[in-house]
Amino acid sequence: MRIGAAKATYAADEALFDSATQRCWLGVLFTALVCFPFLANAYWLYLAGLVAINVVSVTGLNILTGYTGLVSLGHAAFLGLGAYTVAILEARAGTNFLLNLVVGGGVATIGGLIVGMPSLRVKGLYLAISTIAALFILQFVFYNWVAVTGGSAGLSVPPARLFGLVLDDSFKFYWVIVPLTVLLLFGAANLFRTRIGRAFIAIRDRDISAEVLGIPLLRYKLMSFGLSSFYAGVAGGLWAYFFRSVTPESFPLLLSIFYLAAVIVGGMGTILGGILGAAFMTLVPELLKLIVGWLPIQGDTLVIISPLRTIAFGALIIGFLIFEPNGLAEIWCRVRRFFHLWPFKT
Amino acid sequence: MSNSFIIRVLQLLGLAAGILSTAATVRAEEEIVIGGSIPITGVFSFAGVNIHAGIGDYVKLVNDQGGVMGRKVRYVYEDTGYKADASVAAFKKLTSQNPVHLYYGDSTAFSKIINPELNRTESILMTGASFATEINDPRKYPYQFMVGPDYQAMFALLLKYIAREKPNATVAFVYSDSEFGRDPIEENKKTVANLGLKLVAEVITPPGSVDVSTEVLKLRRADPDYTIFHGYVLAPIPEFISLARKMGMQSQFMGTFWSMDKNNIMKMGEDADGFLGIMPYRYSDDASADAPMLEKIRQIRPGYQSTTYLQGFVAAMLLLECAKRTLEADQELNAKNLKAAFNSIKNFDTGGIIGVPVTVKSNSIPVGRIYKADLKNGKMVPVSDWLTTE
Amino acid sequence: MDWLLLLEVSLAGLGTGGLYALTALAFVMIYKATKVVNLAIGEMLMMGAYFFFAFSAALQLPWWLAMAGAVMGGGLLGAVIERLTIRPLLGKSTLSVFMVTVGLASVFVGVVELVWTADPRALPEFIPRAAVFIGPAFVAPKIFYSFLVAAALIAATLFVLRFWRGGVALRATASDQVAAYAMGINVPRVFSVAWIIAGMIAALAGILVGAIGGISSAMGQFGLSVLVVVIFGGLDSVPGALVGGIVVGLMEALAGTYLGGEYKRLTPFSLLALILIVRPYGLFGTAEIERL
Repeated sequence: MRIGAAKATYAADEALFDSATQRCWLGVLFTALVCFPFLANAYWLYLAGLVAINVVSVTGLNILTGYTGLVSLGHAAFLGLGAYTVAILEARAGTNFLLNLVVGGGVATIGGLIVGMPSLRVKGLYLAISTIAALFILQFVFYNWVAVTGGSAGLSVPPARLFGLVLDDSFKFYWVIVPLTVLLLFGAANLFRTRIGRAFIAIRDRDISAEVLGIPLLRYKLMSFGLSSFYAGVAGGLWAYFFRSVTPESFPLLLSIFYLAAVIVGGMGTILGGILGAAFMTLVPELLKLIVGWLPIQGDTLVIISPLRTIAFGALIIGFLIFEPNGLAEIWCRVRRFFHLWPFKT
Repeated sequence: MSNSFIIRVLQLLGLAAGILSTAATVRAEEEIVIGGSIPITGVFSFAGVNIHAGIGDYVKLVNDQGGVMGRKVRYVYEDTGYKADASVAAFKKLTSQNPVHLYYGDSTAFSKIINPELNRTESILMTGASFATEINDPRKYPYQFMVGPDYQAMFALLLKYIAREKPNATVAFVYSDSEFGRDPIEENKKTVANLGLKLVAEVITPPGSVDVSTEVLKLRRADPDYTIFHGYVLAPIPEFISLARKMGMQSQFMGTFWSMDKNNIMKMGEDADGFLGIMPYRYSDDASADAPMLEKIRQIRPGYQSTTYLQGFVAAMLLLECAKRTLEADQELNAKNLKAAFNSIKNFDTGGIIGVPVTVKSNSIPVGRIYKADLKNGKMVPVSDWLTTE
Repeated sequence: MDWLLLLEVSLAGLGTGGLYALTALAFVMIYKATKVVNLAIGEMLMMGAYFFFAFSAALQLPWWLAMAGAVMGGGLLGAVIERLTIRPLLGKSTLSVFMVTVGLASVFVGVVELVWTADPRALPEFIPRAAVFIGPAFVAPKIFYSFLVAAALIAATLFVLRFWRGGVALRATASDQVAAYAMGINVPRVFSVAWIIAGMIAALAGILVGAIGGISSAMGQFGLSVLVVVIFGGLDSVPGALVGGIVVGLMEALAGTYLGGEYKRLTPFSLLALILIVRPYGLFGTAEIERL
């Protein structure tokens, strides 16, 4: 039972993990992550890889929408930018895997900065809709700049090579994706201990007041767009290596909506929310398939799985927004509190 | 939501996860596994649902007769919504869960994308819904084949028919802005010139477009003798044809394989009378010749079965024939051996679904026939022999 | 310069523009009254079309009865949405409500796919099939009649808003909720009425769009173009919806014909980018003034 947390130093106050119990559990998590690939079969490794990519992407979107309050529906386009950059570099130039990811993130960042430019003139929903426009314009480019992007056929990506090892199956890929994801997550968590992160939060809460307090709005909003797009670009690059193919259809508006839904369902404005949201939204279709398999339905259940998945997706968004606006992270915190304060009631 | 409720839900989920992880293990008995990225939902779903039924029916037929060389056939599939990345995801999922030997892919885009992976693993022989010309190249696509002539050959056959019926006719191409649609266009522009025909209009429609009235206006300006549609299953062909007829256009309309389903054409009404197109198979209600497989299909599924059903059926037939020949030669079921088995298919009888015994060429089955829609009698009438494409 | 083609293409564009304007009207009505950006407008359209399909094809009702039924169904749908999903979120951030409409869109698409499968279908023909010629120019009859219906409905709505008590109440609520309460207007009822009327208009627009291009579970894409129209015209401006609809429809048709079919999808979004740079609140929209 933990009551209160007396902090004696600023460092202790700012620490990401502030108690021994928490650090202990973190250790358990890392051990589990290390042991997982040896115990799981190829299918679970595939899902783990997918979850990791989505976690990176959702964390990026969380920085923009959850922490800075700028709603963006163009996130999929930045993933696309990163994916195409990586695909082109890997297929044509054969450069180093990590370098490709960084360049992919860089190109996406530039895209994000350009898309973020209107954010000084327009706000709120208008900005959201301008990001939709950016998404469609980028999609048009993906489809029609055939010389570079391969047009509607897309590009095929050779497997990543790291230190001479070819990362061609989910097991090997796991060892690259998961540490990268953990690194990026720590980066994001750390961001919100710095003044940049605090500026983002101030902008979200009341941007005019933030400006009055001396935060240059355009610079920080652009920084937010840039950072979130960097995460998206890296996620896109990992996507390209994971699926080994990049087509213009891979990054539709629906994907942006998926990520936004993950941010909301997970909990806006918390790193844990990003992780939970991404994992949950990625695994829900699999869970759904399992449930539908248990139901005593005649005939081919595949025909109803896809519509059910769409309905479940919409229902989850609506349900969480009406009943649990702070998302899964809030539920997680409540459970934790229950254990902390036991045997007292919360 | 109260805390105790949440904790109970978490316990249940943990239990489910535990059961899940033990259940999702790979079953590795002596089986032949056909994997499928099938577009059961989405814009191609009309075709996808029937292809799915066709493959499933043939697999069941084979299993009922004892399987292939004593091994049972298992058909595993995922819905892709006709999206290339969903197809790739389905492929990855199915191949990580099962020892897949044979695969059916739902689109040209997917076939091209997955090719490097097929070449790397060398364990799967693939066919699919694509008749793309580029795939008809055994050097670049060594482990794939198609279940009919390629689109270019289909188009060329149509153009030759035009040249025979009306020398120096004017032609228009109407195609969809997709991998599927663009495939045969460039090469056939040359064929048009070679045959002495004239291409007067080229209309591209965005995929999933609703309103085509502006495109029809363009077509009307050009007033071609023949208009060839490609890259569609149904929409927007009916809209095109009905608007064109209303505007007084006299053009004859033609389509390639996927637009040749009898029911779809009949639904278009009197405007579609005389619609021409190429079909590599007989129609399922064609009782004119001795076709034991068509008979069997009619027994399993009474009533007209779509051309897309036949495509899936024949695809499964050929895939399993390759597996059979490989096993008969006492060889391992890997991509090289399966493809060699495919290349050995000469004068193969498809049970009457294709009107003549087939010999494969490159990666295709180079046989097709031109049919014409006779709306009064509600039938598709052949207007040519079984032609072998070159 | 083929003037006849230009004329014909422009007329076709105007026709489509009329439908855009109609749908934009439904959208603006919701936004004016309840300040909700309804991304599910395309899906409400789709539901109207599918209701019509169910009534006329499955129940074999005559087309005018099916249409009346579908319109009422659309209104009912609007009321249900407002009560169940929008009312609980009164006072919460606009992003939350926006995302709820996104969720609704998904639910509608899923329901349609479940009940009717994702196959595109054709609606039973009820629009006269004879070709329509305006002078020498050919106009597709479906587009022509749809435009007439859309224009009539827009005129009717404008009339209603201006002269009917309910319309005045709607405008009052839109401009200042607190003052409207003070004047004795039942504001929650105004919300419901706004959503019902918008649902009915969307259903009718859906029937027309479905009659032109067939119905499918992907019909909701129409809503994205309508989003552009309302941003172009101003989120809370009815004349803006009209002008925006016509302009976007015209530009789309011209771009599709003269630049190529691939550009048809790009045009509305390029227009959007343009208007956001030049007049961020739309042609006739009211600029939002933020106060600390």
